[in-house]
Amino acid sequence: MNSRKRLNHSISFTFLLFLSVIFLFPIYLVVLNSFKSKFNIVGSPFKFPNEDTFVGLENYANGIRMSDLMPSFLRTLIITVGSVLAIVIFTSMAAWFIVRVKNRATKTIYYLFLFSMIVPFQMIMFAMVSVCSKLGLNSVLGIIPVYLGFGSGMSVFLFSGFIRGLPHEIEEAAMIDGCGPLRTFFTVVFPMLKPTSITVAILNAMWIWNDFLLPYLLLGTQNKTLSVAIQIATQGAYGAIDWGGFMAMLVLAIIPIVIFYLFCQKYIIKGVIDGAVKG
Amino acid sequence: MATIRLENIKKTYEDGTTVIENLNLDIKDKEFIILVGPSGCGKSTTLRMIAGLEEISDGNLYIGDKRVNDVSPKDRDIAMVFQSYALYPHMSVYKNMAFGLKNRKVPKDEIDRKVKEAAKMLDIEEYLHRKPRALSGGQRQRVALGRAMVREPSVFLLDEPLSNLDAKLRTEMRNRISILHRKLQTTFVYVTHDQTEAMTMADRIVVLKKGEVMQFDTPSVLYNHPKNMFVAGFIGSPQMNFLDTRIEVIKNSYFAVSESFKIRLSERMYDALSLYRNKDVILGIRPDDLHINNGASNENNPEKISAHIDIVEMTGSDYFLYGNTGNQKITAKVTAAVRFNDDTDCELSVDTDKIHIFDKVSEILICD
Amino acid sequence: MEKSIKKYFPVFLLPALTAFAIVFLIPFLLGIFLSFTEFTTVDNAVWIGIKNYITAFTRDKNFLNALWFTTKFTLVSVITINVISFALALLLTRGIKGTKIFRTVFFMPNLIGGIVLGYIWNLLINAVLGIFGLDITYDAAYGFWGLVFLMNWQLIGYMMVIYIAGIQNVPSELIEAAQIDGASKPSVLRNVIIPMVMPSVTICLFLTITNSFKLFDQNLALTGGAPAKQTAMLALDIYNTFYGRIGYQGVGQAKAVVFFLIVAVIAFIQLRITGQKEEEA
Repeated sequence: MNSRKRLNHSISFTFLLFLSVIFLFPIYLVVLNSFKSKFNIVGSPFKFPNEDTFVGLENYANGIRMSDLMPSFLRTLIITVGSVLAIVIFTSMAAWFIVRVKNRATKTIYYLFLFSMIVPFQMIMFAMVSVCSKLGLNSVLGIIPVYLGFGSGMSVFLFSGFIRGLPHEIEEAAMIDGCGPLRTFFTVVFPMLKPTSITVAILNAMWIWNDFLLPYLLLGTQNKTLSVAIQIATQGAYGAIDWGGFMAMLVLAIIPIVIFYLFCQKYIIKGVIDGAVKG
Repeated sequence: MATIRLENIKKTYEDGTTVIENLNLDIKDKEFIILVGPSGCGKSTTLRMIAGLEEISDGNLYIGDKRVNDVSPKDRDIAMVFQSYALYPHMSVYKNMAFGLKNRKVPKDEIDRKVKEAAKMLDIEEYLHRKPRALSGGQRQRVALGRAMVREPSVFLLDEPLSNLDAKLRTEMRNRISILHRKLQTTFVYVTHDQTEAMTMADRIVVLKKGEVMQFDTPSVLYNHPKNMFVAGFIGSPQMNFLDTRIEVIKNSYFAVSESFKIRLSERMYDALSLYRNKDVILGIRPDDLHINNGASNENNPEKISAHIDIVEMTGSDYFLYGNTGNQKITAKVTAAVRFNDDTDCELSVDTDKIHIFDKVSEILICD
Repeated sequence: MEKSIKKYFPVFLLPALTAFAIVFLIPFLLGIFLSFTEFTTVDNAVWIGIKNYITAFTRDKNFLNALWFTTKFTLVSVITINVISFALALLLTRGIKGTKIFRTVFFMPNLIGGIVLGYIWNLLINAVLGIFGLDITYDAAYGFWGLVFLMNWQLIGYMMVIYIAGIQNVPSELIEAAQIDGASKPSVLRNVIIPMVMPSVTICLFLTITNSFKLFDQNLALTGGAPAKQTAMLALDIYNTFYGRIGYQGVGQAKAVVFFLIVAVIAFIQLRITGQKEEEA
C-alpha cells in the first residue's frame, strides 16, 4: 500500500469514527439521563450525573413500575413470536401452493398479496379495527392472525421468489418416495426454505416488535405492548412526566433489541439485503 | 418385476403443443430399455409419463397387467433417478436412501439392512452420514442410484443420469449401471441423448424423433440395419457418411454413381433397387467401413472412392480422416498403423457388404 | 403433481388467505365504500357521495398542509438519506479497517422502533434547543428538520447495507477492465459502478420514498404535530381526523383513500422510471 493510499485510508477512518460517535450520541444521551434525577434532565440534559444528580437505578425501578413494563414486555414477546411463527408457516405453505399450482386464481391471489404491500395502513385502519373487533381478534392471541394477514404480502412474495428457484425434481423424488403433498412440503420443501424463513422471520419480527398503531387500536391501553406503553407514558401524567423513569423505559426498550442485533447481526443484514433485492 | 406397455399414448401440454402423437411400446420384464434421441424428441416426457409425474393425455399405460394412467407415482412401484440427482439437501446420505422406505413404514432394522447393503454395493458406505453437498458429482450419482435401489421397485427409471458427470466417470458409471441391472433383475427404462450410453448398456433401444419411434431394436440391429437415415445418423460415431448418388444400370450391373466415384453394388441389392434405376438416392457408409488403399490390392473390395483429406485426427489407435469427395463431405476411420498427412489425396476402398441405400425423399432404407 | 397438490387448497392456501381477506381485502373495499359515506361506526354509514372528499380538500386546511409538509419532508429526506448512505457504502467497500464495526453502528438505529426513536430525538433536540431557551414545538421548522435528522439516522444504515451489497455485486473484472481501458476513478464510479448498482438505487429510492411518505410513529412521538398541527404529516393527520374529531370519520376515510392513491401513483411512477434506467444501464 503506497503512502497516499494509506493517508486516504486514515482520513476515511477518522471520518467514519467521527460519524460513529454522532450516530451513537443520541443513545448515549438517553442512557446518561436515565441515571439522573428527574428534575435534572430537562434543565441540563448534557451534564454527566454528579453526586447530587446521580440516582442509581431509581429511575429504572420507577420506569418499570409506572408502566407495567414487564407485562408489556411479555405481551410483546408472545405476540411477536406467535405472529412470526404463524407467518413463516402459513405464508410458506401459501407461496408453495401459488408457485406449484399455476392458474388464474393463484395468479390473482399472488398479485393481491403484492398489492397489499403498497397500501398505507391508514387506508384500511378504521374498517379493519371494526371487522377484527367483531371477530374477537382484539386480544393478545387474537392479534396473531391479524399480523398473519398483514405480514402475508411481503412474506408470500419472498417465499415465492425462492420457491421458483427450487428444482422440481426434488419434490418429484419425494412423491415417488411415497409422500403426499403435505409430507412433501413439511419434510422436503420446508427444510429447503430455511434461508428465506430466517429472512422472513427477522423482517417480520423487527416490524411486529416495534409496531405501535395496530396494537394500540386493537388492544388499547389495557393489553399494551412495549411501544404502546412508552407512548402512553408521556400522556397520562397530566404534565408532570417522570422524565427519569421515562428515560429508563427507553433504555429498557432498546436493550433487548441491541442484544438481539448483536447476536443475529449476520442474519439481520442478510435478511435486509434479501428483502430489498427481491422486494 | 414387470412389463410396461404403452398403448396409443398421446401427450398434449396445456398450451396446446403436442409432443407425442401416438406412441406404442412393449417393454419386456427385466429388460434394459434405453430411450434415445435429440432434445425435444419426447424421451423425457415418455419416461415422466411412466413415472406418473406427467399426465397422459390419451391412450393406456400398463405396468404389469395394471392400467396405471390414474395411479399416483408413489403407488406405481417404481423408482427414479434424476439428471440433477434430486437428493434431499438437508438429509444425510443415509436418510436420503431411507426416506422412501420410512414413508412406506418398513421396520427400522430392515431399512438399516437394505441401506447398508446398497451402500456397500455402490461404495458409498463411508459417506452415509454426510450431506449431499459434501459429495462429488459421481458420489451423488451413486447415492441417487442407491436411493432408488433400496426400494426394490419393479421398474427402475433413469432420466439422463450420467449427463452431469465428466467423461471418465461416465464410463465407470456405465459399467456400474450395467452390473446393477444384472444384479437387480428388474426392468430398467433409461433416457439419454448420448448414443454411446445407449449402445453400451441397452438390451433394446428406442430411437425417438419428435415423439415418434424411429426404430426399436437391439443395439446391433440399429447399428447394422438402421431403418432410416435418422437412426443411421444418430447411432454410431463418427456419424455415417451420407452421399448423394444416382443408381445406374450398366450391363445388368447396378452402380451408385456420383461425379467423383462409381461403385458397383452387390447383387443382393438388385431386387430392391429395380425401382430406383436412374434415380437419386442416398448412399450411407459408416466411416469404419471405409479403408485406406495403401497399395496392396484388396481383392474383396475393389470399389473405391477418391477423396481429398483436409484434416487428420489421431485418437490413439485410429485416425479420423475428414475430407471430401467431389463436393460432398466424407469421414473415414482407419487404423493408425499407417502414417497419414493433412491435405492429401487418397483412394478409400469401400466395403460393399456394408453399404446402406436410402430413399432421398422419405429417408427410409431401401436396402442394406 | 400439480393435480394432487391442487386438492390440498384448503390446507395450504386457506389459512394465510383467510387472515389476509379479513384484515386487508375486506377492510380495503369497505374503506373505499366508507369514504363516500357519513359514519361513526361501520354499521351506520349513510351514502353522501363525494362530500367527504370536498371537505378534505376545502374546509380542512390541515390536510393540504399535511400533504405539503409530507412532500417537502419526503423530498429532503430521500435525497439526504440516499446520498449519504451511498457515500458511506463506497467508503465501506474500500477495505478500511473497522468496516464491520462501522457497519454495525450505522445500521443499529434501524432496529429501534419508531416510537422509541421519536422520544430519543425529542430528548436530543430539546436538549440542544434548550441551550437557546427553545424547544421543538416552538417552530414548525424545528419539527421539520428534527424529523429529517431522525429519518436520516434511522434509514442511512439500512440503505447503506443495500448499497454495499449492490457495490459488492459489481464484478471486479469489470472495474479492472475499465481501469485497463484507462478510466479514472470518478469515471469508473460514473460509468461502471453506478450503472451496475441501479437495481439497488431503485429499491432504496422505493423504500425511502414510501417509508418517508407513510411515516407515523416517529411523527407522533417526536412532535405529535405540534405546533398547532403544523408538523403533522399525512398519516398523523388522517389518524387525528378519524379519532380526534367526532363525526369526521368519513372525511378521515376520504383522506386515507387519497393518501393511498398518492402512494400508489408515486410507487408506480418511481418503479417505472428507475426500471427504465436499469434497462438502459
